[in-house]
Amino acid sequence: MIGRRLFLGAVGAAALSGCAPDVLGLRRSVRVAVSWSGAELREFHRVLDGLGDLEFPVEVIPLGDDIPTAFGPRSTRRPDVVMLPRPGLVPQQLENLQPVPAELADRGRTRLWDELLVQEGETYGVPFKTAHKSAIWYRPSVFKQVGVEPPKVWSDWLQVNRQLSLAGIRPLALAAGDGWVLTDFLENVLLGSAPSAYRSLASSAEPRPSQEPAFAAALRLLGTLWAAPGTLAGGVDRSLVQQFPDAIVEVFGHRRAAMVLASDFAEPVVRSFAADPDDIGLFTFPSMTRGTAAPVVVGGDVMVLPRPASEDAQKLVRRLAVPAAADPWIATGGFLADGRTTGYSPELTRLAEQLVAPGRSLQFDLSDRLYQLDDGLQRVLNDFLVRVGDQGTEVVREAVDVALTELAKVES
Amino acid sequence: MVLRTNNLSIELVGREISGRPVPGRPRRPAGPYLLGLPALLLSSLLLIPVGVTVVAAFRLPDGSFGFGNFAVMADPAALHAVGNSLAWVAVAFGLVVLGFLLALVSYRLPAVSSFLQPALVIPFAVSVLVSGATFRLIFDPTPERGTVTAVWTKLFGTSPVWLGPGMFWLVLVSAFGWTWLGYVVSLFRAGLDAIPDDVSRTIQTEGVTGWRRLRVLELPLLRPITGVVTLTLVIAAVRVFDLVLILVPGSLQQDADVLGINWWRSSAGGTSGRTAALGVVLFAIVAAVGVIGVRGLRRRRWAMPVSVVTAERSVRRPRPSRRTRRVGSTVGFAVALFWILPAIVLVATALHSPTAAGLDGWWSARGFGFESFAAAANVGLLRALLSTLLISSIATVVLLVIAVPTAYLVAWGGLPPWLGRVVTSVFVVLAVTPVQMYAAPLRDAIGAAGLAGSRVALALVHAAAGLPFAVLLLRSAFASAPPVLVAEALQGPARQSAVLATVRRTYRPALVAVAVLEFVLVWNDFIVGFLISGPGSTPLSLVLWGEARQFSASAGTVAAAAVVASIVPVVLLLSFWRTVVRGLTVGSRP
Repeated sequence: MIGRRLFLGAVGAAALSGCAPDVLGLRRSVRVAVSWSGAELREFHRVLDGLGDLEFPVEVIPLGDDIPTAFGPRSTRRPDVVMLPRPGLVPQQLENLQPVPAELADRGRTRLWDELLVQEGETYGVPFKTAHKSAIWYRPSVFKQVGVEPPKVWSDWLQVNRQLSLAGIRPLALAAGDGWVLTDFLENVLLGSAPSAYRSLASSAEPRPSQEPAFAAALRLLGTLWAAPGTLAGGVDRSLVQQFPDAIVEVFGHRRAAMVLASDFAEPVVRSFAADPDDIGLFTFPSMTRGTAAPVVVGGDVMVLPRPASEDAQKLVRRLAVPAAADPWIATGGFLADGRTTGYSPELTRLAEQLVAPGRSLQFDLSDRLYQLDDGLQRVLNDFLVRVGDQGTEVVREAVDVALTELAKVES
Repeated sequence: MVLRTNNLSIELVGREISGRPVPGRPRRPAGPYLLGLPALLLSSLLLIPVGVTVVAAFRLPDGSFGFGNFAVMADPAALHAVGNSLAWVAVAFGLVVLGFLLALVSYRLPAVSSFLQPALVIPFAVSVLVSGATFRLIFDPTPERGTVTAVWTKLFGTSPVWLGPGMFWLVLVSAFGWTWLGYVVSLFRAGLDAIPDDVSRTIQTEGVTGWRRLRVLELPLLRPITGVVTLTLVIAAVRVFDLVLILVPGSLQQDADVLGINWWRSSAGGTSGRTAALGVVLFAIVAAVGVIGVRGLRRRRWAMPVSVVTAERSVRRPRPSRRTRRVGSTVGFAVALFWILPAIVLVATALHSPTAAGLDGWWSARGFGFESFAAAANVGLLRALLSTLLISSIATVVLLVIAVPTAYLVAWGGLPPWLGRVVTSVFVVLAVTPVQMYAAPLRDAIGAAGLAGSRVALALVHAAAGLPFAVLLLRSAFASAPPVLVAEALQGPARQSAVLATVRRTYRPALVAVAVLEFVLVWNDFIVGFLISGPGSTPLSLVLWGEARQFSASAGTVAAAAVVASIVPVVLLLSFWRTVVRGLTVGSRP
């Protein structure tokens, strides 16, 4: 009975898969590993659909934060294309990668990208998506109610937080459940307070942030903001299990907090969960002291081709590199394309203009470059947050020392 | 001596006997051994890679052999993971004990089980990934969304952060328990029900009650079932992998690390000595636990009657009084409702639009609709369903075709006793072998054969992984055949076919159990496909996992995908549950 039923089921499935040969896995599909999920993943599917008729099936593999596992040595189930959110892995994975098609090489040689993607004269990646990691989304109505302005300088920000919490409003929803939110925070402070130290760390072959006084100073500054009692919405425990969409829902949906540090790609989440669609504002990271440049930390996803790259994989990269390819995603929001400043919402247009404006302190995301530390920096910051969050500024000094000790362990 | 008849003369001539007389041996025809050949081939899919891993674990970088690689165990992260894995095995044993006690309670309180059946089966039918997602929804730290947090806040004003540091263990264990407890209780209950009434009456009249009765009657009689249950649960505990990935927030995954995940994150590819050593340690732990746990499978105690003949009214258990029945059914209904609640939460969440599900809990009246299903369909859910159906079907068919003759061979093939014991032990060990032991070499081999990405190759690996348990189960079923039949079967091939016909009739439950369980296990699998073929070929679970990366905001989509993914296994198991339980609890013998 059951055997027959199963057999019929199998035959039926096989017959059905006749119309979709890739289900059987016989037709070699092009496998794209991405770190996106949820809404972003759906948008990427729409981008693929918008490419028109490809002569090969495309399979999207969402690997999330575990995307470095896409480069397993001798792993024959390797993806054919990787949308790498950590371009810092390119120099490390050089022997596993193939240079991109020659006509796309220029795209990888633009500002900021070149030092990561150009190795030994060859270009190993094509930027697909850029991220502005110094954006803070906030609710203007709350700022009006308390009578504060978006901060231009770090000390103003501390002041704004104080005023908000005095008025009974939690200033900041911190998405510590996503490790990159914590590293982004620290990178902004470091880039704003010591751009040269940032640069030397980013370009060093053996980065030792724990030995860098500027790094310790940045940690102290950051600790001061996190430690101020009443700053974090929901306290430390809630922050630790809160991912960036949850934090956005806290601010714009349940309206329990005023601000959230989240990149441009948070835009669709903000708009879909906002209780009041007109009550959405955005400011960028303040400068650390008056007169210095405000930091702009840049991230993004680059297309890289694991070696050996098939013809089909290269074709797909060419198709995705066409500037119009990302149009469906840009129309939805939450997507910045490298060097492009048109077609976005007003908020994202401001961010896009900052990315091409001269005179700003622009640097590529440090933790995405320091592959040597793996995700050690995230873990250290996690523990640091647990030690200082809501504890008052007097604990900061000691917590910084502990963090530096932990970091030294990670470095070795 | 000469015979003359019909013009023929026939002469009989004797021959001198030479040499010493030799004692005769029973003829063991070689034919039956061929039955085991396919199983041997299929098992070598696991055995050879396991061997490769073991060798790699002891091979040092300079080519010599030694224990150098096991220095990895001094790594605090690895130690922490080992500790967590052991804790999971302990949780499995705890669940067996708890399930047994619950089965006893429900056995003494008749009429409880009428409502409980579907409530206990559904959690077992859904994948670990789905139950993990469900419990993450229930324990969401936002009072607007998380059921438990909402209730707690209502009662006490503030609520702990359930998914927060330390607390997530509670949620993890709850999800694991919800998945498995129904299975454990159902099996023990079936075993208790099968104890002949006259036996329990005799025991009762001799004044043996309470704990002593448990020790002399129920525990020994249920030993085979205890073996099956323990084996399944230990395998499940060691395979804990996807549960942690989906349920624990990223910032805390370090604390929740289990050996399997640690292995995967550190391997990210070929077989280095370090990861092989990790695998071997995991394997040693499990094999030890598994072998102790299944000793019940290897002792012949008694065979449970296949069909329980309705006994005389006078010798049946006394019918409980009406009051007892009413209490029993009320309790049963309440427990069933409580037990089914997570499934209700999941379905109700799926029926909200993604935005509504991200903002408010499943009980809110806003935003009903099928938008979440539409969103889930947009990430390739249908194609994933089709692939999964194909892989599960192939794996199940291959498994049945190979496991039945093998089990027949082990049960009655006339193997010498020692060989039978060896084969059984090998299968027991293979049944609990963690995927990590064969994943890396197998992945390389499949790739080298140019079959990377082939769903058929993955289905074969699934069949190989399911074979040990299937053979053990079927062997138990076949072995409990009436001895008369066995004796007849050994008289020749003509008889054997007759026996097989009887077997088909009598042992269909075990066959159905193997088929249904294999299909459901493969359908729900995450880890085997993920580690063997890399992501992308276990599409259904991968769609779920991909969606769950930003959990709360995609709660609606995740729930919708989970509901769609669960329909097939739930329907299958609900339809065949009675037969499956019967099949799992058919007698047992070495």
